[in-house]
Amino acid sequence: MIFLQQVINGLMLGGLYALVAVSFTFVIGMLNFLNFSIPGIFMLGGILSWAFMVPGGLPWYAAVPLALLAGIAASLLVERFTYRYMRARFGDATEHAIPLVSSMGFLILFQGLVQIQWGAELHSFPSPWQDTSLRIGGLLISIPQVISLALAMALVFGLTVILGRTSLGRSLRAVAESPDTAQLLGIDLPRLIPAVFIVTGLFSALAGVLFALNYLQVSHVMGDEIASFAMAAMVVGGLGNVWGAIAGGLLLGLMEVMTIFFFGAKVIKVAVWGALFLLILVRPQGLFGKPAVGKGKF
Amino acid sequence: MSGYVAGILAVLAINLLLAYAVFLPAAAGMINLGAAGFMAIGAYVSAYLDVEYGLALPLCLLAGAVVSMVMGCLVAIPLLRTKGVYMVLATLAFGEIVSGALINMEAVGGAAGYPVTTFIDMPVIVAMAVCGLLLVVYLLSTRFGLAMRSIHDDEQATALFGINVRRVKVMAFTIGAGFAGVAGALYGHHYNYIEVANFNLMLSTYTLLYVLIGGTQTAFGPLVGAAIFSLMPEMLRGSEHWRFVIFAVLIIATMALRPEGVVTRHGLARLFGRRKVEG
Amino acid sequence: MTDLLTLDSVSKSFGGLKVIQDFSLSVGAGARIGLIGPNGAGKTTVFNLITGVYPVTSGRILMGGEDITALPDWRRARHGMARSFQNIRLMPHLSAVENIMLGQHLRARRWYDQLAPLGLMPRNRWKRDAEEALEAAGLGRHANALVYNLPYGVQKRLELVRAAVAGARLLMLDEPAAGLNPTEREELVAHIEALTAGGTALLVVEHDMGFVRRLCERVVVLNFGQKIAEGPPDVVQRNPQVLEAYLGTGATADVA
Repeated sequence: MIFLQQVINGLMLGGLYALVAVSFTFVIGMLNFLNFSIPGIFMLGGILSWAFMVPGGLPWYAAVPLALLAGIAASLLVERFTYRYMRARFGDATEHAIPLVSSMGFLILFQGLVQIQWGAELHSFPSPWQDTSLRIGGLLISIPQVISLALAMALVFGLTVILGRTSLGRSLRAVAESPDTAQLLGIDLPRLIPAVFIVTGLFSALAGVLFALNYLQVSHVMGDEIASFAMAAMVVGGLGNVWGAIAGGLLLGLMEVMTIFFFGAKVIKVAVWGALFLLILVRPQGLFGKPAVGKGKF
Repeated sequence: MSGYVAGILAVLAINLLLAYAVFLPAAAGMINLGAAGFMAIGAYVSAYLDVEYGLALPLCLLAGAVVSMVMGCLVAIPLLRTKGVYMVLATLAFGEIVSGALINMEAVGGAAGYPVTTFIDMPVIVAMAVCGLLLVVYLLSTRFGLAMRSIHDDEQATALFGINVRRVKVMAFTIGAGFAGVAGALYGHHYNYIEVANFNLMLSTYTLLYVLIGGTQTAFGPLVGAAIFSLMPEMLRGSEHWRFVIFAVLIIATMALRPEGVVTRHGLARLFGRRKVEG
Repeated sequence: MTDLLTLDSVSKSFGGLKVIQDFSLSVGAGARIGLIGPNGAGKTTVFNLITGVYPVTSGRILMGGEDITALPDWRRARHGMARSFQNIRLMPHLSAVENIMLGQHLRARRWYDQLAPLGLMPRNRWKRDAEEALEAAGLGRHANALVYNLPYGVQKRLELVRAAVAGARLLMLDEPAAGLNPTEREELVAHIEALTAGGTALLVVEHDMGFVRRLCERVVVLNFGQKIAEGPPDVVQRNPQVLEAYLGTGATADVA
């Protein structure tokens, strides 16, 4: 029973990782851009929800959408000064490390601004429910985690439908193949690329809100650790593969919980990163990935 | 000299040595996001030999550098099969593995930290940093340095001139790891206390960023980058938190306006008028 | 006597596409050979196969009698080949003279040449050697300019000098005359002749038959990845298959 509870905990935790991993992998798959600002947007989603509710006094159904909008706006700001700027200036944004480096700058910027405004301490997040857990036959299931897992799957399902069926999706896939060719085919890149950033902004901020609901705590560095795990999940799933990122997220969540269960919390870092390091060297395409993505020069 | 200035100089010198751990691979077109990991290796090896065996200080430092270089070489050889995003993630993973492993090593205090016996004062650290700077200036002036800079521009074409690109890259990465090892050893002996949290991912990230702000074309880029990073907290006394915001804006602006860094070869040539530069 | 370079029925496929089929070629020491053919015939691919940019799918490549088919690109260069590129591939962040010094690498592999701080020695022999090579090419005044600032024609010529200073036994030039005007072409022919006067073998890819006729004693014609003719320029030029490849069926005009 305890073991089964661990499996459930692992999968639930993995649902959170999956949502962030999908954000990372989607930008890489589309634009070959490792966007380090994602943990910052994740953090904005969580802490702005708190800020609108607790100091701001708004109800949750106003605070959360506002926080999500802010996350999307932040993501578009990143797009404006990384991808779009580089492409306008150098004719090509993805062959350089520049967007990656700028996105690290944005992560530090978001964290710095939040720290100035609300300090470096942990803030407790008000729970909209009395009890956020569900008991089924002795098993404890966290509602926010179930929601996050379900939402991650629903969003990714929606994403694959959009990519596969709609004209927006066709355009995006053309961009993923080659931005230059896509432009020659008449695709309006400056209008299309923001769509990618809107999706990642929304996913990341939403994951931040769900994280806050689950742990009932927010801080300016809440995104750091989860982003590491999400990046690991992305590699496991194969760069650019959204379903792979979900599978990778669940696998990572399971692995984390099991490692803690059997070996204690102190070895988790070595275990996860060691596995990731070996995976990159031995099977960089991930367990199910498309090998071509993310091998750009720089 | 006041203790205040001495303290700043020591920080600057250590940051400069660490900067070269990122700079040397970057000059050859590689990104190292695991500098703090190599720094930790140097710090713990040197501290351990000092505390447990009372080894002479120069030998401790040397051992720290050598172990870090061996690790660097072992990591670089398989790592160079990867590129781009994968390389960033693999070096990041390496840094995290090192700190994750050190937390579990009770022999060096684990998570509680590790007190270091022998003290190294600022002048020695600054002297080491100056030697480091001169070594990098020398390396860049040799055919090895020329090969590194060529690889940065065009790896394939460089190989077609008979240059073993892999070897140059492994060497650049390894020598860089040695610099980080020395930086870590000096850090430990200067503050007489090290803990895993000193060598975290943020340190690797900041180091990469200030090196890129400074520029990776000349040995002086990291000096400017390290100076900006080390002096900024001092210039912003009283508004400590703003340093992160200003640093962030600085990196975003540098990448947007002057992506090759503040110090470029072109700029240096114009500044000193040594060379006639056209265009 | 063995030939300097031998390609023994070399083939190359990308995916299912056969780009080069059963191509054989031998280049004697000091020979001057032109590799011609219409766009997309696979000329640059042949260069890339020889220098090891990609591995061959089948066939063998020998240099000075030694099989170099399995060697990586940098080891092949050490067998004595140097090349220029169709699309200029100078190092944009290096100065002209540093680009030339990169070309010297094959001659500077002793440890003290590798360890010498050339950048800090203003009058070292390698730098003088590079400057003289630039001077001889009429590029002396550009020696210290960063390459990305230089005009196309100068860059094109710099690539030639960079390949030539390697002191290789085989100099491979990929469209050295592209984008040059007739006067510049004249100068280029004289320059290449001077560079190879010491007995360096030459393999040139070029579109311009007139240019090839002046420079080469033998031409090899490629079309759709296969050799369709080989011989002295005047003979090949009258070959009906060659005319057809260049000008389409029924053409009889002189190719020039």
